[in-house]
Amino acid sequence: MNLNYNEEQTMLREQIQKFCESEYDFYKREDIVKSSNDFDPNVWKLFADQGWLSMPFSEDSGGLGFGAIELSILFEEFGKALVIEPYLATVVLSGTLIDKSSYSNKKDIIDKICQGEKHISLAYAEVDKSYDYLTPNTSLDSDNILNGAKTLVLNASNADNLIVTCKKDNELNLVIMDSNAEGVSINSYSTVDGQSCSEISFENVKLDASNILSSGDEAESLIKETINLATLCISAEAVGLMESCYHKTLEYTKGREQFGQPISNFQVLQHRMVDMFIESELAKSLLIKAMLEVNNGSEEMYKHVSALKSYIGKSGKLSAKEAVQLHGGMGVSEELMIGHYLKKMISIDALFGNADYHLKTFSS
Amino acid sequence: MDINFSKEDIAFRDEVRDWLANDYPKHVKDKTDNGIALTKQDMIDYHKAISKKGWMGYNWPVEYGGTGWSSTQLYIFNKEFGLAGCPPLLAFGVSMVAPVIWTFGNDEQKERFLPDILDFNTWWCQGYSEPGSGSDLASLKTKAVLDGDHYVVNGSKTWTTLAQNADWIFCLVRTDNSGIKQEGISFLLIDMKTPGIEVKPIITIDGEHEVNSVFFTDVKVPVENLVGEEGKGWTYAKFLLAHERFGIAGVGASMRQLNRLKDIISKLDNAELQKKVNELEVALSAIEITELRLLSALENGGHPGAESSILKIKGTEMQQNLSELFVEAAGEYALMYPGPHGYGSNEKPAGPDYAAEGLSGFLNLRKTSIYGGSNEIQKNILSKFVLGV
Repeated sequence: MNLNYNEEQTMLREQIQKFCESEYDFYKREDIVKSSNDFDPNVWKLFADQGWLSMPFSEDSGGLGFGAIELSILFEEFGKALVIEPYLATVVLSGTLIDKSSYSNKKDIIDKICQGEKHISLAYAEVDKSYDYLTPNTSLDSDNILNGAKTLVLNASNADNLIVTCKKDNELNLVIMDSNAEGVSINSYSTVDGQSCSEISFENVKLDASNILSSGDEAESLIKETINLATLCISAEAVGLMESCYHKTLEYTKGREQFGQPISNFQVLQHRMVDMFIESELAKSLLIKAMLEVNNGSEEMYKHVSALKSYIGKSGKLSAKEAVQLHGGMGVSEELMIGHYLKKMISIDALFGNADYHLKTFSS
Repeated sequence: MDINFSKEDIAFRDEVRDWLANDYPKHVKDKTDNGIALTKQDMIDYHKAISKKGWMGYNWPVEYGGTGWSSTQLYIFNKEFGLAGCPPLLAFGVSMVAPVIWTFGNDEQKERFLPDILDFNTWWCQGYSEPGSGSDLASLKTKAVLDGDHYVVNGSKTWTTLAQNADWIFCLVRTDNSGIKQEGISFLLIDMKTPGIEVKPIITIDGEHEVNSVFFTDVKVPVENLVGEEGKGWTYAKFLLAHERFGIAGVGASMRQLNRLKDIISKLDNAELQKKVNELEVALSAIEITELRLLSALENGGHPGAESSILKIKGTEMQQNLSELFVEAAGEYALMYPGPHGYGSNEKPAGPDYAAEGLSGFLNLRKTSIYGGSNEIQKNILSKFVLGV
């Protein structure tokens, strides 16, 4: 047994950390959040230059062939720096799905994603369908005309293409199309953590057979695997975030003096920070188990991702709330990163099923 | 023992309900019921309507134009306003600085300030916390130096709620450095229009501008604005805090939120959320009855002691926990947050109506366990004065 990251993985982590320190500090992030795109095309280009946009794709498609471990490392570090670039939407939710499909045109699309030249969003959720992503009401008729509506589509406002789940002949289909196709209307807004998100409706959108990315059993397993991988990624993000909450709170309490001494001297605060540390370590442990299962593609992977997601949903929120409380008034100020960790944690818990939902999934 | 209100108290409760049903300004009610932020003018209209009814001096003695209500009446008033979803009354003038003025101020100060507070002609804010003095408030450094017939004030205050709207600020300032830190603090009333005062917004994580930094540079304050004696400010501050804590549990407002949550969750078929809301209902009942016990002690000649710290801690935790359940009930739509300026159109893109409101409440209410003496400080008070350790 060896539960250590290998040298290559450690180097990857250091590379991402260095990048976030030099190119993605909190002020830079704030500028990006306040910009109209909710992402920075220059940063995206740098991601491409570092090879990060190619990481999870098979070597056949021109990718680096990395798996769940490397993605988890990337997201852990993104969580610490609160990176809001649309990596999840374009690379994980859309890119890995396309890469694993048998779609004829996939190499060209993946290549454009790797170069940072294309954004794609996956429209998988519908208003009345809750967490059921496999039986959409959006439909594709026999003439390949698409009708329906999708909710909570991440980064659709920046997407060149959309992948839409729909039903045709009672089978799940995935269609890929231009986001500005006639009949597509996109209503965008910002999420609590500063991402761009959209409600999309499709009214008699004319497609043809070449738009069909996948159908039937393949489409179902692509959606299940992709959502599971994305759930792992944002859970890893939460693990990074929990570690940062603990570190930053410790640093703050050491520097903040009240009653003539650093408030870190008070035992009652020490124990609460110890709890934050313990929770962060336990979350890391569940992350290791889940990412290894996903990496092996085992049957058990869904269960272990649910275990992780339910755990970080609860303990991550607790850590972020404690971090705010121990920072006092500064914790609720927009000017400090701490409050933004709490907002990010709310967003992570809400996406793809919250703690209660995944605990139920785990035990069923 | 009798846990029921007297006939007179019930009649009083009905009078409050009647006012809320008929005279609570409709434009304010419409906004608060729909989670829309109130403007400064809305807040003024709301407070003036209460003044008009003669209820602004809800915790004042009759001789200064107050209601002279019993503790029970005050409790009923707070609870009914909370249940009706009214915004909390601004405490800074009526229940913070006013008791200090009528208890420690001179006749001229009483005449000058109290009537305007009763009529809500002046908006007060509180100059207590400083960047280096939060929980350790007595370490405050804002300096006031006597120079002839005025003090010259230099320093800064922070987390000053709604200072951007305020006409006056009551400030704890340091007039002497020679003794222990609690001595040498004085209580000054300062006109916000005085040259040398700068108010800078602090934006909080809910995106709102509620609190501020207030900077004082060579601000000249006439000596007649000193309340009581120089160097006795800490005593007045502690006296004021005892008034601030009453009603801090917010039982009425929490009951309203609980009822709304029960309604929402009953339609969701979600056993986990149902269990959580049931637990909160039991805990809220415990808080309510604890407050009634404190009330009963007060009515029988007791003083609000360290026990009010229980209400501060549990009441604020309750408000936070309720808001968190709104967020959980919203499921994936907890992501959606309009911020203070809406979605950019009048219509919410998707999700249940309570999603955004729940989230902004959740983020905004983080402050409640931090302000008014943080919950950690409240536990220190209980350790010291109840446990005796």
